[in-house]
Amino acid sequence: MSADTSKPLAPGVRPAVGWSLLGSELSVLFRRLRTWAMLLALAAVPILIAVAVKLSSRPVAPGRGPLFLDRITQNGLFVAVTALVVCVPLFLPLTIGVVAGDTIAGEANMGTLRYLLLAPAGRVRLLLVKYAGAVAFCFAATVTVAASGALVGVVLFPVGPVTLLSGDTIGVGESMLRSLVIAGYITVSLLGLSAIGLLISTFTDVPVGAMAATIVLSVVSQVLDNLPQLDWLHPWLFSHHWLGFADLLRQPIDWTSFGANALLQAGYIAVCGTLAYAKFSNKDILS
Amino acid sequence: MTRAKRRWLPALLIPLALVLAVLTGSVQAGATVSLPPKTADEVLAMIARTQVRAFSGTLQQTAELGLPDIPSSTPGVTPGAGTALEFLAGSHTARVFVGDPTKARLQIMDAMAERDLIVNGKDAWFYNSADNSATHLQAPKPGAPTETLPSKPAMPTPEALANRFLAAVDAGTEVTVGEASSVAGRSAYRLSLAPKDPGTLVASVSIDVDSETGFPLGVHVQAKNQADPAYSLAFTDLSLTAPDPGLFQFTPPAGSTVTTKVLPARLTPVPDADSSPKAPSPHGTRVSGEGWGSIVMLPAAAVPAGLTSNPQISQVLQSVSGGRALTSSLVSVLILDDGRVLAGLVPLERLQSAAAAQ
Repeated sequence: MSADTSKPLAPGVRPAVGWSLLGSELSVLFRRLRTWAMLLALAAVPILIAVAVKLSSRPVAPGRGPLFLDRITQNGLFVAVTALVVCVPLFLPLTIGVVAGDTIAGEANMGTLRYLLLAPAGRVRLLLVKYAGAVAFCFAATVTVAASGALVGVVLFPVGPVTLLSGDTIGVGESMLRSLVIAGYITVSLLGLSAIGLLISTFTDVPVGAMAATIVLSVVSQVLDNLPQLDWLHPWLFSHHWLGFADLLRQPIDWTSFGANALLQAGYIAVCGTLAYAKFSNKDILS
Repeated sequence: MTRAKRRWLPALLIPLALVLAVLTGSVQAGATVSLPPKTADEVLAMIARTQVRAFSGTLQQTAELGLPDIPSSTPGVTPGAGTALEFLAGSHTARVFVGDPTKARLQIMDAMAERDLIVNGKDAWFYNSADNSATHLQAPKPGAPTETLPSKPAMPTPEALANRFLAAVDAGTEVTVGEASSVAGRSAYRLSLAPKDPGTLVASVSIDVDSETGFPLGVHVQAKNQADPAYSLAFTDLSLTAPDPGLFQFTPPAGSTVTTKVLPARLTPVPDADSSPKAPSPHGTRVSGEGWGSIVMLPAAAVPAGLTSNPQISQVLQSVSGGRALTSSLVSVLILDDGRVLAGLVPLERLQSAAAAQ
């Protein structure tokens, strides 16, 4: 597929193989019924929120419920942010855990890992391609929630200037831009979890085990983050900055948490990535 | 076999490199900076001469007074004594923007929420994102607005706090210049004020003074018998350029609940992030003792009504003989049964003996 589009290269040059591998990985991932089911479930979250708010007769009291829930009736664009706040702790890690945990273990379980490695791609490249697929899903999942929230908000509620946490208001165009930046922030937030999922996936041939372990780890990390006795540990937990995207809703934007989050996730990628490489390159592929 | 082992090498080296990077980073942050030596008087003169009037920065405030954790402000609670108490425990991050002398903005950054105070000339707004409420603070009608709103907005910056401590410097204070430090990426002289009076709870107050501009970058109060600073307020990030003037324009967002409050003659818009005793007011407040060990006594009439009935305040009070008391590593407050209030940077016993001596 994408191999056709790549430039003609001398025989034996590997990048072409890598790109075609990535292309086939992405097309397999996004043609799966499971992937679509997960994306649809994520898209349903903002719709549920918006419909529930629309149908409820009592107005939501300010300060109750998730962020901005009380302001949805005034401005539909808040549905996207509220839905992201709701999805970040559980629903997004759940779906990421399924995709990242399945990366290697799924192929091993189906017996296709051997055939993938028969191609002259090498194990490192396969690992990178698998990780890239998981990252693509992170982005797709986040954008799905944001887009579905924005759409249902526009359909059900009036749309106007958006109030930021600082009390300043911004226009619709800038609010769309900020939603996109928030989607980027959450995608970055989930990169560490994806790397952990990939690592666990190299240790087992049972994909369900890797998925469950990844999801459990994301919950454990968040529980630890809520224990004040462990505050020395908090800055090192991969979920520590997950809700820090609120800083993008301040005026002016505070980029500190974005940077800290990116640095932390990069650390997790480096550690889990090298561990996954060590494990996977030494793995006996029997099936 | 060796090849298989070699593949584990990056998995060992990368975490090691990360640990090293983190360690060197923290060592560099704590590294001393070399600056031309200056005497305490020269540093004091630098603070007095500072020309920094417009800046934007991020402030980190921590209080380790040994008080129980006070729940942070709940939605619907208007700023007042209860929320002021919040600043006596835990840590807060705030951004502060100061434009020309009459414009300032303070943003207290809570998790998924923010509280803003915007001062623009005669107008002041308080906005709380948690309950989407805006309060318009207005100067009292008859008085001249320029007199009631301070010409320089009173933002709880290290500068304001430092000036407060420096105003209290007297013969009973030993002023020294310590090792230079690095605050918010700027090299700073560390001015140390140590009370000679053994009766006070304050071990020392250190003020980090920017070596270039003389602008106070941080204030740390050390209490006796405690290793961590009992109270600290310092910039983690500072830019000395004038902030965007649009930041000081505030219109309450659509859908927010707007209330208008006419301020009393004395303007204290923000719960002052200061743990020093209350500034003396003219209503028969008496100060006994002098310097750091002085004790402020308010007669019952001068105490704000409902002080002790405030649930957040009564939470930190404990019963002692003759009344109720707040004891911390830095400040003690004694509320007598007859309504008088004594406070000071001294142990509770000294307040009790002062109350008995009256």
